[in-house]
Amino acid sequence: MIPTNQTIEPDDRQLVETIRGGDPGAFELLVRRKTSKVYSLCYRIIGNAEDAKDISQLVFIKLWENLEKYDAQYAFDTWLYRMVTNVAIDFMRNKQSRDNAVNSNLRLVKTSFDAEQGVVIQRKEIESVFNAVSTCLSPKQKTIFVMNQMDDMPSSEIAKVLGCRESTVRNHLFNARKLMQQQLRKQFPEYSRLWKEQQ
Amino acid sequence: MITCHAFRANLRPGSSEPELLEHLRHCDACLDHAVGVDPDFLFRSIGGEELVPPGGVDAFTHDVMQQLHVRTTETRLAHRVLSWPRRLAVAATIAAAMTGAAVVWQHDENAKAPMQPMASATTTKRATPAAVVASLTTKPVVETYDSKNATIVEVPSEGANDVKVVMIFDEQLPADL
Repeated sequence: MIPTNQTIEPDDRQLVETIRGGDPGAFELLVRRKTSKVYSLCYRIIGNAEDAKDISQLVFIKLWENLEKYDAQYAFDTWLYRMVTNVAIDFMRNKQSRDNAVNSNLRLVKTSFDAEQGVVIQRKEIESVFNAVSTCLSPKQKTIFVMNQMDDMPSSEIAKVLGCRESTVRNHLFNARKLMQQQLRKQFPEYSRLWKEQQ
Repeated sequence: MITCHAFRANLRPGSSEPELLEHLRHCDACLDHAVGVDPDFLFRSIGGEELVPPGGVDAFTHDVMQQLHVRTTETRLAHRVLSWPRRLAVAATIAAAMTGAAVVWQHDENAKAPMQPMASATTTKRATPAAVVASLTTKPVVETYDSKNATIVEVPSEGANDVKVVMIFDEQLPADL
């Protein structure tokens, strides 16, 4: 028989029960397990590494404070994502109002590019293009777009996370796409040409 | 990961099969093709991989646990140390309010006592001789008075507790007295 050091890791629900029992070590394990998920979502919604890190930490602190409220009959990740989206949307709303107050007249419009010119898509650029054009979205629209398009969550799951109807999620997705295409036309005409070619 | 050939053969507008998305997010050569099939794949190509916070997961976890420790300690201290001063402050406020109210009440009582004859005098100013005496109390007090022509009349009082009224008739008495 081969000796093994492998132990079966408890699932999220078991881990929550252990934390409720007063084991801070279990919470540390939960933080380690969920850090990447939470940080990735925060980063894609917020678009800034340092802010995303701070918001992720805040999410885990809120998680600790509200762990008693978690109902184990629901998936832990749904509950966690709800917390992430709430904190991130709040942050975005505050940030938007601050930015609007400071840069109310400042608009970055790139119009010198020849719209008929072809575009060579570079993966590195796409992220900065997304960060630029997604500023026209509301925090909720952006959150829904990120969860659906980048985290591959179906609209039914997003509806559960946000506590709204699936049709509302689909509406937000439709509007987000439309708004970003308009923004692409203004700021990055070379990319908006991709949609024109489709039509 | 599936081959580029399989990817290009199976990709349709709006495809969301995990193996296709995985290829989309990792193969630079197929990115142009995918965006040509459906421009919505442009932003879809960003997602997928899980990101790590700056400094790594260990440092992040350490920071979170440290913040929790600080918060827990603060909360514990707030319950133990701050609750007693707060209770004391509330008790002191109540005591101060009661003392203040008692002092004001006492002051009012003291102020009311000498005022009572005045109040009754003003209401019966013209009707009774007592009213005349009361009105005189507002004038300068004459400490010494000496006259041979004065007539003094003592108004009979009805009870032992009544105020004793004395009327002085004197032609030489100053008019404003």
